[in-house]
Amino acid sequence: VQPPEKPLQAEEWNKLREDFQSPEKFEEVMLNSMIKCNSPIDVAKSLLTHLAKRDGDVAYNMLVKYLTLCVRQGQVSEIRDVYDIMKVRFKILESGAYNLLIRGLSNSDQWRMALTLLEEVKKIMIPSRTCYESCIKAANRHQEMKLAFELYDEMLAKDVVPTLAVLQSFFDFSRHMEDVELQKELFGILLYLRDNQIYPHRTFMRSIKLWFESIPGGNWKGYLTKIKDSGQCPVCNHQLEDSNLTEEEYSNLSERIINDVIHGTDTFRKTSPQEFEAFQTFVENRLPFDIVIDGLNVSHIKPRRMQCENLFDAVNCLAKENVRLLVLGRKHMLRNSSNWKTEVMKEMQTKADFFFAENISDDDAFLLYATLRSGKHCKFVTRDFLRDHKACLSDSVMRHLFRKWQLICHIKSKKTVFPLFFSEQPAFRYDCVVQTTGDTWHIPYKDVFEEKYSYRVPTKWLCIRQKL
Amino acid sequence: MQSANTLLRKILRSSVLPFATQHRMRKDLFLFSRTLSLSLSLKQDKSCEPSEKLDLDAWKKVMKSGLQEEVSETVSEPKELSSLASAREILEMWRLAGRLVPENISEEQLKTFMECPSKSAKKKYLKYLHLKELYKKSRMDKKRERRLEAQDQASKTNETKKNSFIYLQSHMMDKTYNWRVAQSMIFGQPLVFDMSYEKEMSGQEITNTVRQLVMSEGCNRRSVDPFHIHFCNFKDDSLYHREFIKQYREAWGKLLITVTDQCYTEIFPKDKLIYLTADSPKVMKTFDHDKIYIVGSLVDKSIKTGVSLARAKRLQLETAALPLDKYLLWSTGAKNLTLDQMMHILLTLKDTADWKKALEFVPKRKYCGFVNKPDKPVKELKKTLDLMKTLKLGKGREDLQKQVAKNYSKKYKLK
Repeated sequence: VQPPEKPLQAEEWNKLREDFQSPEKFEEVMLNSMIKCNSPIDVAKSLLTHLAKRDGDVAYNMLVKYLTLCVRQGQVSEIRDVYDIMKVRFKILESGAYNLLIRGLSNSDQWRMALTLLEEVKKIMIPSRTCYESCIKAANRHQEMKLAFELYDEMLAKDVVPTLAVLQSFFDFSRHMEDVELQKELFGILLYLRDNQIYPHRTFMRSIKLWFESIPGGNWKGYLTKIKDSGQCPVCNHQLEDSNLTEEEYSNLSERIINDVIHGTDTFRKTSPQEFEAFQTFVENRLPFDIVIDGLNVSHIKPRRMQCENLFDAVNCLAKENVRLLVLGRKHMLRNSSNWKTEVMKEMQTKADFFFAENISDDDAFLLYATLRSGKHCKFVTRDFLRDHKACLSDSVMRHLFRKWQLICHIKSKKTVFPLFFSEQPAFRYDCVVQTTGDTWHIPYKDVFEEKYSYRVPTKWLCIRQKL
Repeated sequence: MQSANTLLRKILRSSVLPFATQHRMRKDLFLFSRTLSLSLSLKQDKSCEPSEKLDLDAWKKVMKSGLQEEVSETVSEPKELSSLASAREILEMWRLAGRLVPENISEEQLKTFMECPSKSAKKKYLKYLHLKELYKKSRMDKKRERRLEAQDQASKTNETKKNSFIYLQSHMMDKTYNWRVAQSMIFGQPLVFDMSYEKEMSGQEITNTVRQLVMSEGCNRRSVDPFHIHFCNFKDDSLYHREFIKQYREAWGKLLITVTDQCYTEIFPKDKLIYLTADSPKVMKTFDHDKIYIVGSLVDKSIKTGVSLARAKRLQLETAALPLDKYLLWSTGAKNLTLDQMMHILLTLKDTADWKKALEFVPKRKYCGFVNKPDKPVKELKKTLDLMKTLKLGKGREDLQKQVAKNYSKKYKLK
């Protein structure tokens, strides 16, 4: 339905209602379309008046819809009136109405009222992130940085994840301030980005840059750049943090992978204790390997070729002097078939160590184990992203470590080149997170707000350094 | 009038006024005075202005004026509420806001609601309750209608009831069924339900499992040649047990099945046991009347691959999967079937040894049709099906579909 352009009299509304196919829903549908078309609130008011005169009451959901319209148009006095009505009418409100009220009021000069409302919400539920977002932004806009940070800390304490917009607003409104405490807090936000592997988008990055450059007497200067493959920043020649895991992280990770991924709740789900033991002794006797190959995965790289030929190419390509290879496969590969020729298999076994798991066992788990046991230098070859194994890890810190380790150890195959070519370069030598040395900051950023592929890490960096 | 006063007081108490004066915001003050006059106008008669001009704020007056008595009540009421009551109120507000929330909620359900770990879990639970309520309501309505109709007819034809005969018949049927099941308990082929998956399931999943088991037991009882059902690894006072008592009530003690806390390996010889699991690499070819089949009493909504296979591996039992791919052109859905579907399939196999008849019990939405010649490779046909599925989304699908149909209709026929 098309909402009218001018306020209507009761009779006119009645007429419209009669023409509508399902009259009982008429008002709701009409208000919805008013929200959609952003109609003038006078029109909505006339509808409400018509409703109130007919029924002697306006339903809560209609009030909320009307509130949506008011908030959209920034009609502060109306928002307050609706709040007064709701407050008298209902003991508590639900989160939708609170969100709207807080958003509406925080954008006006009555923003402090939004704060009192936030207090009210806290009594009955955990406020939503949009509630906090509105309040923090309002506080920032009015240069009440201390208050904003209090709210921010409270939000984090309640496990409500702040939006990037909130974080950005801190930088936007703190420019040219000399407050040392404030600077510390803002550095804290940058470290928050680091700890949670969040990459700012382009406009956010700009805010950070402008803030740094505006610090009085700071002499900060920011440059946009790309980091060299070696991990060196072309602007300041600073070497970025090494992507290697620390000893502690590494041993933690391998322990957790054995516990969570291989054994999990039941060792029998992925393998069997006998088989795992056999594999363990096999690996321990031959350690360390340099490259571990996921045989089945690699054998499917070119679907038109025979599977054992694919694997043969890969093994040949990787087998060099003094490189110890381990190929993981399943027992069915040993049976002579159209895809697996016994002669080829035999020849391969002279060049690399092979372990054949039971046909119903999960060979990826063995891949992880063998690579981790061999040590930090060991790489593995597979096209699999191993997402299901990552999901088996019980906490997010471990999942992140796994991801990081995977980026280092995963050898990617370049599909386009023939014959098969595996780049020996690890995916990343430097760690792609926000990092600082005190007088320099390096911040990776994304071009767009939402990156399409979560496994891609940004290539663009903001380099900020202090000129002394 | 009182409401206007409390309203005023509230506004005064809130920090807006001092803030506004402090910053000398004329506009705000003006706004404030406007609400003030509005509140005061409450006591005036509404009908004093019969002007033709539209009063756009009239609805506010109506909303405020209708509330005078209620307001005095709410003010005098103590503000402190128990957590349950406040949860109830939040629910009420959600309902008013038009969310999917049940109208009535029991104390127990409210507690479950409050224990939900996240907002989305809460929403999901409420939606579930809401739908449940709707189904119940529509069922009751239909029942009432039917009753009314029956009454109408009865009054029209003026016949006396002959229910006693029907009652007798159903009673006799029950007796026959029980007789058959009792016989199967002595001579019948055992069928084992492995009840050791309690830890893998949520409360809801356990409820579903027990419902499916109840249905399986029902259809077994009514069959011509029932299985001798064993519930193995059954712990007393487990969640399964509690659910069974909820479902069966006093009938639980009188069921003609064997319930034991022993494992099937302790009761039966190992070489006779076959664990049925969708993850098994072996495919069942024929139904063996000398074997004892085991079905895991597990509903895994979040698909837990390999749980039952792991159990069979640990006990070194033979495993088997239904030959679904051999006989059916699978389209969507997981290959794991519900327990009552399994029961129907096994019973049919036992009676007829006809796979086609047995697999009729696989839900129709999961497959496109039967394979006419199950011995021929279905790979090719599968490919075309996949192609057709993707084409459904794209343009010009009709021509392509025709082409596909032309190419393959000669070789294989879809039923």
